Amino acid sequence: MHLARLWLTDFRCYESLDLTLPPGCTVITGANGQGKTSLLEAIDWIATGRSFRGVADSALARAGSDAAIVRVDAMRGSGVVRVEAEIRASGRNRILVNGQPLAKRRDLGDSVRATIFSPDDLELIKGGPAQRRGFIDDLLSQSAPRYEVVRSDYDRVLRQRNALLKGGVRDTDARTTLEVFDTQLAQTGSQLIRARLRLTDRLLPAISQAYADLAREEPAVRARYEVEWSQSTLTDDAKEIEEEILRSLIIMQSKEIERGVTLVGPHRDDWRIELHGLEARSTASQGEQRSLALALRLGGHRVVTEVLGEEPLLLLDDVFSELDPARSEALVANLPKGQTLLTTASLLPDGVKADRWLRVESGMVSEVE
Amino acid sequence: MSSLYEGPVQNLVDELGRLPGIGPKSAQRIAYHILKSPTEDAARLADALTEAKARVTWCQTCFNLAEGAECSFCRDDRRDRTIICVVEEPRDIVAIERTREFYGRYHVLQGAISPIEGIGPEQLRIHEILLRIEPEGVEEVILATNPNIEGEATAMYLAKLLKPLGIKVTRIASGLPVGGDLEYADEITLGRALEGRREV
Ligand SMILES: [Zn+2]
Repeated sequence: MHLARLWLTDFRCYESLDLTLPPGCTVITGANGQGKTSLLEAIDWIATGRSFRGVADSALARAGSDAAIVRVDAMRGSGVVRVEAEIRASGRNRILVNGQPLAKRRDLGDSVRATIFSPDDLELIKGGPAQRRGFIDDLLSQSAPRYEVVRSDYDRVLRQRNALLKGGVRDTDARTTLEVFDTQLAQTGSQLIRARLRLTDRLLPAISQAYADLAREEPAVRARYEVEWSQSTLTDDAKEIEEEILRSLIIMQSKEIERGVTLVGPHRDDWRIELHGLEARSTASQGEQRSLALALRLGGHRVVTEVLGEEPLLLLDDVFSELDPARSEALVANLPKGQTLLTTASLLPDGVKADRWLRVESGMVSEVE
Repeated sequence: MSSLYEGPVQNLVDELGRLPGIGPKSAQRIAYHILKSPTEDAARLADALTEAKARVTWCQTCFNLAEGAECSFCRDDRRDRTIICVVEEPRDIVAIERTREFYGRYHVLQGAISPIEGIGPEQLRIHEILLRIEPEGVEEVILATNPNIEGEATAMYLAKLLKPLGIKVTRIASGLPVGGDLEYADEITLGRALEGRREV
């Protein structure tokens, strides 16, 4: 799959843009603040239905306009798929796939898929457990859409259970209700954990290889799924995980009732990543952490490609500012085969084979000769 | 804040805006529609409201909507007393009746367990169903709450109460859209779900 064409209207600083894209590598240059990242943001929105910069949709319309419009032609095995999104400042977006309204935002990924890396991804390594859980869960949803349902079911159970605990568990009715939500927490939670365990087992070798390619060294990344609410090592057997959650809930019950919050379950878990045998979050150098964050994205990209049998677009925002020259060159030498768009404000490393060079200036895109 | 309209108009807009699923804009549109239409149309609407509110109550047996003490299903002697289908809302009965697969009686919970909204078992007609089992000679209870988290939780809760009584407790089969409402399931899907119900 690749994008053949991209149109923008009133998206960020772009008043109007009509861009054809080659199936290979496109390099986008330009000074900071000119709209390079916004191009990637628009493409990623079409794949996910949200901004990767974590801003609300209302921030995407150009100043003074009510709606931003993003339209793409995606070339797929079956032909051209046109996806069109009207992102309204008022909230009610309209998304059309081949002219047909799309009911659910999450179905967007069926037409266009993308992997995006940005300098903020350093948080995947340096940030708290929530960052890494989000990374894993997003990959899960991409590789198997039914996990989007498992995840939202789990979130719903968790919210209901927390509300119950917060309200106080005093009488028999409330105790029986808590038992019911315990069962649901264990059922949905065990499915989520098993899915995470299976995915991280596949991810780790891909990430380790991606890091080794960047650093030109032997694979040295290890990772462990960490559960603080249980002493036992979890296997990927859903029934066993379910029983372990239920056992832990019994042990923690009085503490949970006292604190009014759920202390057991996958919303508390972490994925501990180690480099050369030491925890990357606390001990790796800034340069190693940056490369590792990129390796996470590239590894995830490889696994999604394997699972789906189709390579997502690869969007690399300002990636060379994150790497030293040697690693930049290593990245270029090891780029995946699929369509890649990369932005840079600085000079490019040697070896970049771009099929198209573009320069962005104040929301205008021109060809670089 | 000062009102946008004069007294009676603002009253009407406010009252309409209180209805479920009606936002401020829809409330205005409906209010204008009513004000523009002939007096007798508005009077008919007002009468329908007053009369429905005066004559329709909750069935004292199953808590469905009823005109009088009992609803039409509870009054109908041809319907099987030994099997009760438990639903969340009266509108779910309409969905199940459309399947023509069920000839027993109903029990309407008037909602589902949802601590977020402050709804626990005591806010629902859950304990009332226990009082029906012996007098009515009930042998099977079908739990037909919605196939979402709250509906499942309510079904599990009921199963915990009913199983010790030694009756058959079944849950309508999945195949229903997850996260969905019974109301929106088509007859065929819902009919199959009733046929394929499993014991819990
Ligand atoms: Zn009745």
